[in-house]
Amino acid sequence: MLAPYFGQDCPRAWEMMPWVLQNRATRKQTDWLASHLAQCEACRVEFEQQKRLKQAMSLPSDVKVDAEAGLQQLLGRLDAPAVEEPNRTRVGAGGWLTRALVAAVLIQAIGIGALGLKMWSAGDPVGYRTLSQEEATTATPGAIRVVPDASMTMAEWNALLHSLQLQVVGGPNEVGAYTLAPVNAKASKPNTLQQLRAARGIRLAEPVTGAP
Amino acid sequence: MNDADIPADATDRVLLQRMSTGDRAALATLYRSYHGRLCRFLSRLSRRPDIIEEVINDCFWIAWQKAADFRGDSRVSTWIMGIAYRCGLKALRQHGEEAVEDSIAEERAPADDPDEDRELRDWLSKGLERLSTDQRVVVELVYGEGHTLDDVATIMQCPVGTVKARLFHARVKLRNVLPALAEGSVAVKERKDQVP
Repeated sequence: MLAPYFGQDCPRAWEMMPWVLQNRATRKQTDWLASHLAQCEACRVEFEQQKRLKQAMSLPSDVKVDAEAGLQQLLGRLDAPAVEEPNRTRVGAGGWLTRALVAAVLIQAIGIGALGLKMWSAGDPVGYRTLSQEEATTATPGAIRVVPDASMTMAEWNALLHSLQLQVVGGPNEVGAYTLAPVNAKASKPNTLQQLRAARGIRLAEPVTGAP
Repeated sequence: MNDADIPADATDRVLLQRMSTGDRAALATLYRSYHGRLCRFLSRLSRRPDIIEEVINDCFWIAWQKAADFRGDSRVSTWIMGIAYRCGLKALRQHGEEAVEDSIAEERAPADDPDEDRELRDWLSKGLERLSTDQRVVVELVYGEGHTLDDVATIMQCPVGTVKARLFHARVKLRNVLPALAEGSVAVKERKDQVP
């Protein structure tokens, strides 16, 4: 590709040419370009070509389209029902996108349905418990329901549980009671309940026997 | 804006204002006055008359619908060319490669076209073939339609810098191919002249 510029003023001349040809340049700019062209062979050649380009671009279109037939068609379109046009436009602009989105939603729905069917038919018990579910503490041997005093610190609470080898398995419920169970059910101490009742900071300690 | 643009734009604004009140005669006047330049502009995008007609009608359909929304920030011609440009791009996307094809090019050259014009068209079309669609559009809007860089940026909805770059690259390409094409056509002409 040839470099478009040759001299120091050539870039300015090059940039100015279309606007001089369009008669948009000022008188001063036009005169400056004329003086530059008088002394720059390369820009003179370029300007001649630009003039020829403009002349060629100004020729009427060689693709013949009947204006009157087109106009009649347009006027007919204006009389067509109002709903026709938006539909036509929307289908053209976003038809494939809409179809793709509908297909994606359908595939998702089928997938969710299949997954639900599979889980329902398997009937496996879930390995988690939600907070709204009733606690299964009655099944835990040695479970104790405890209400700590409000003044008890977290460190004291943790130390007490640690010394009695207990862990929190539920709570606090609406009255602030926690359900404790031995860390190791087999190694649970027989006098844990008494120790809890005697412990400082415990307001209430009762064995879990069913309903609280 | 050129001095000559001012009265033309004022007339267009009046027509557009009348269109916004449902005046079909104003639509017909505006349609006829823009048909030729839209035809030439769109022929830089597609060579198919049916597609060009479709795009012109889409463009005026939108102009008819949106006439009341014209805010007057630009000239009416800039506004209409912008609509035509977007409709043209949409048609290119919808029709794909077939929109660009010129299947009956031989029949297309006007019979009353003088030799000089035909030669000029031939020279130009060969040069424009080397340009991208966006470059062809910029060249048409600047050299064919006489728009400013700001107008072209509005029409193409891109920064003025982008228009400048497209125009620059288009000119460099044309500068490199058009002289050779001109020499080629002169050589062919000379050979024809020598044939008894």
